[in-house]
Amino acid sequence: MKSIINPYRDNACGLKMIIPAIWLNALIFASELTLLSIGFTLTYLTAKVPNFAHGTYAGIGIYVSYTFSKILGLSPYIGYPVAFIIGGIVSVIIYVLVINVLTRMGGGAIVLTISTLAIQIFLGALIQIYAYWLLMRYGTYTQVFMLKDFDFQIGDFPGIFIVSMGLTIISVVLLHYMLTRTKIGVAMRATAEDPELASVLGININQIQIFSWFLTGGLACVAGAMIPLWFMATTTSGAAIITSIMAGSLLGGFDSVYGAVVGGFLVGLSEVMLTTWGQQIIGVWVGEYRPLVPMIFLVAVLLVEPEGLQGAYNKFMASERGGKLLQSIGLKKKED
Amino acid sequence: MMLQDIALGLLTSNVSAITGSSRLIVDIAMYFGLFVIVAMALNFQYGNAGIPNMGCAVQVIMGGFTVSALTTRLIFIVVAGAGVQLRTWATDYDWVYNNFYNVDVTNKYLATKPVLGISMLLFSIAVSMVLGAVMGWLIALPAIRLRATYLMIVLITMADAAQIFGRNIVAISGGTLGMFIPDILRWYPGDRTVVTAVITLFLGLVSFFIFRTMLNSPYGRLMRALRENEVTVSSVGKNVIGIRRTILMFASGITAISGTLLAFYFSYVVEANYQRAFWTYWPWLMLILGGPGNNAGTFLGCALVTAMRRIIIVEKWLIESLFFFPVAYFESVLLGVLLIVVIMFRPNGLIPEKLLYIPGVNYTQMVREDVKVDWRSAPKARGSSSGLSGMLRSLGVGKKEAAE
Repeated sequence: MKSIINPYRDNACGLKMIIPAIWLNALIFASELTLLSIGFTLTYLTAKVPNFAHGTYAGIGIYVSYTFSKILGLSPYIGYPVAFIIGGIVSVIIYVLVINVLTRMGGGAIVLTISTLAIQIFLGALIQIYAYWLLMRYGTYTQVFMLKDFDFQIGDFPGIFIVSMGLTIISVVLLHYMLTRTKIGVAMRATAEDPELASVLGININQIQIFSWFLTGGLACVAGAMIPLWFMATTTSGAAIITSIMAGSLLGGFDSVYGAVVGGFLVGLSEVMLTTWGQQIIGVWVGEYRPLVPMIFLVAVLLVEPEGLQGAYNKFMASERGGKLLQSIGLKKKED
Repeated sequence: MMLQDIALGLLTSNVSAITGSSRLIVDIAMYFGLFVIVAMALNFQYGNAGIPNMGCAVQVIMGGFTVSALTTRLIFIVVAGAGVQLRTWATDYDWVYNNFYNVDVTNKYLATKPVLGISMLLFSIAVSMVLGAVMGWLIALPAIRLRATYLMIVLITMADAAQIFGRNIVAISGGTLGMFIPDILRWYPGDRTVVTAVITLFLGLVSFFIFRTMLNSPYGRLMRALRENEVTVSSVGKNVIGIRRTILMFASGITAISGTLLAFYFSYVVEANYQRAFWTYWPWLMLILGGPGNNAGTFLGCALVTAMRRIIIVEKWLIESLFFFPVAYFESVLLGVLLIVVIMFRPNGLIPEKLLYIPGVNYTQMVREDVKVDWRSAPKARGSSSGLSGMLRSLGVGKKEAAE
């Protein structure tokens, strides 16, 4: 249908034969969302708080990219390590100054959640002030922008596609390695399971927490830095993405990192694809309802299976059919 | 002088009688009334029953949509039925573009019909309460059985969903353009905003006393028990989920009134007036600042925060030169910082929660003395006049034992 206005369709490089442009959108968004969902879930695992400020870290990353490309005139990819460090530091500051203090004061889950909401409002305002300052100081338009011009191309592929997919796959593999093989990863898992028992075994919980907050903040900031290279970014797009992050994390099971990988990817993919298909089949106006897709995921997951994919997987494996499946693969011994 | 101006505004239709600081006072009174309703309902839910309702904005928006989608249509139908020529409002296009003309003609008609105006006000309040309660039931449906965290997440996102629907379905509130609504107080000779503010303050106080009475009733004690330990409550045969849902629905219905009154205050409805930050985060700040679980505290927090905000907004040109950025951003910074500071340094609020008031029982004394009792040396302590048994005997429960 030619009547649909899709800015990505016509200028989206000549790889329509391999990957249609819509799928390109979906895959890039999904990989960014996967990184964000992993971080959100890690924070929830270690600190037991749904961090509403997680999307705002991505907002910081967006403006790191903007500063590097438009103000400093460099490639935005050079800003990724800087974004990682800035996001990590912001996250650690939040942990040390607010979350840790409140946890020691005995604040419950609700109080902690409200404090993260407050941090989200505060950080969002700081981002807006920074954007306004850039606008006043350099006269560049900072409110709504896209950095596609600063991207590179390898063959037919835009650089951001390769970078986002690659970074996500590498971080998932590294995280898996870290959580299963290294000492600090095992310590993180132990802290998530039972903080008191972990501290009895000689694990410095505070250090582990700081490390995990640094990691999640950094990952979120890098994921945010990737957003403006392909999508339109605004001062509030960081805060707006939090619904998708939570939907991804919840679909994965809310306290399972592997679930978050799958959940974040699925939610990101379906958010773009369902909207696009809806636009093609029903009408262009469906595009306005794109933010509803993660909300539908949230509600559906809570109604059908509150434990998410991880819970469904566990249930299936505990059931008779799952046992048979495992036996046929050879992962489980036959019971006599 | 100021009071004279306001009195003038109440009695005459001279809009210019209310200017400057008098206008500011009317504004603060209006928003104070609105936020008392919202914050008291929040106190009812979170402070006393422990339900973290982060979706106040949804319920408030239901009030606004009731006025724009239902009351306005009903008034148009009534007015057209009375023989006044109105332009058609059948399609979305007509609904928005004939809106101003229709409202203008309707206002002229309403100027002579006080009964119709008052009945429409009551109609919108009643319908918004019902719709707000239905909305409370709906948005609580996925997560009311689960952890509080899940409930918060769902409710927060629903506020955005309501705004998206309001923005894109033109028939509700005129989409992004918004729409005017008939002035149902046109028959009154005084200034509309002042009258609306008075009505709002009155309804705010009424809801304050309703909530206060409910909290001191057996149901209020049940709510506090639910907050403290839901396992215990369910073990004595109470339906925890049902109670929680009832509380949420009741408070949602009350919250929706404030949206209705805001629509009448502006005579205009647009979804952007019902933002999540405005109608969820600021009431939460009022609640936490004042003291969750304490009616007087919530009242005080409401007054302080509303006065501060309205003064900052109205007199922003005084402090504009202090910042290099717009004052609107400063407001968000202030909101975030205040929330964190209050949570960290005054977790119980300005007025901490007090012990329950139960008629006929000195609960404070009972708790105080109960703490002192050392139950390991039980026989003697129980026989004495202090402690729980002493309290029970004073109520007449332990009389038989004492006689023996």
